[in-house]
Amino acid sequence: MEDFVDGVTKGNVSQVKTVLASVVLALAMYQVALMAVAYGKLRVPFLKPKAATFTHRAVGDAAVAVGVFVAFLCYSYFGIGDGIEHARDEETGRATIHVVSGSLFVVAVLAKVVVVRWWRSLGRFLPALGLTMFSLFSVAWLTSAGNYLWGG
Amino acid sequence: MNVATAPSYRAQLIGSLVAAVLIVAIAVIAVTLAIGPGLDATELRERQELQEERREQRQERREDLQGDSGGPGG
Repeated sequence: MEDFVDGVTKGNVSQVKTVLASVVLALAMYQVALMAVAYGKLRVPFLKPKAATFTHRAVGDAAVAVGVFVAFLCYSYFGIGDGIEHARDEETGRATIHVVSGSLFVVAVLAKVVVVRWWRSLGRFLPALGLTMFSLFSVAWLTSAGNYLWGG
Repeated sequence: MNVATAPSYRAQLIGSLVAAVLIVAIAVIAVTLAIGPGLDATELRERQELQEERREQRQERREDLQGDSGGPGG
């Protein structure tokens, strides 16, 4: 699997992950803004709640697909235990936070999909679930891509 | 009275989706510029091998030092 990931990214696994994860984070921010419009918390003259909801769904599907691909790159190349074990001593904490937040993000995505598609009676928790997803992904991004870009 | 009307539903959809595409493009360009010119796979592998070699050398040196000072002498 490592060879496949190496081949797909031409050996630039961290760089590709950083770009893709940053795209997902930017879209996640847009998603929050779209839902603020959809729930009427933010009123703009050029976008109504119905269109905002549709775009949220479409952009969300694309962002989740990219996010899952990033998770696949992460898991297949670095692993879970290996990622923490092979981190430098001073980076073990960061790697652990990244693994925990990343894994919880995947769980939150699954939970949101289940609620949206099948468990509609829990729909009142969707805003909380969405914000949880956004927070978890932000933490996962800060402890990997953010650290790579600004942490050196 | 002049009331501002929202664009049609279709225009709103297209506009918001185009905004998403622009966000993706800006994110890709900004992050790629921040990363700078990347190394290709061969360079990365060579660098990794060099690092591993150095680590092994350091480890060997440390073991040699421990062997020299740890023994009962002679």
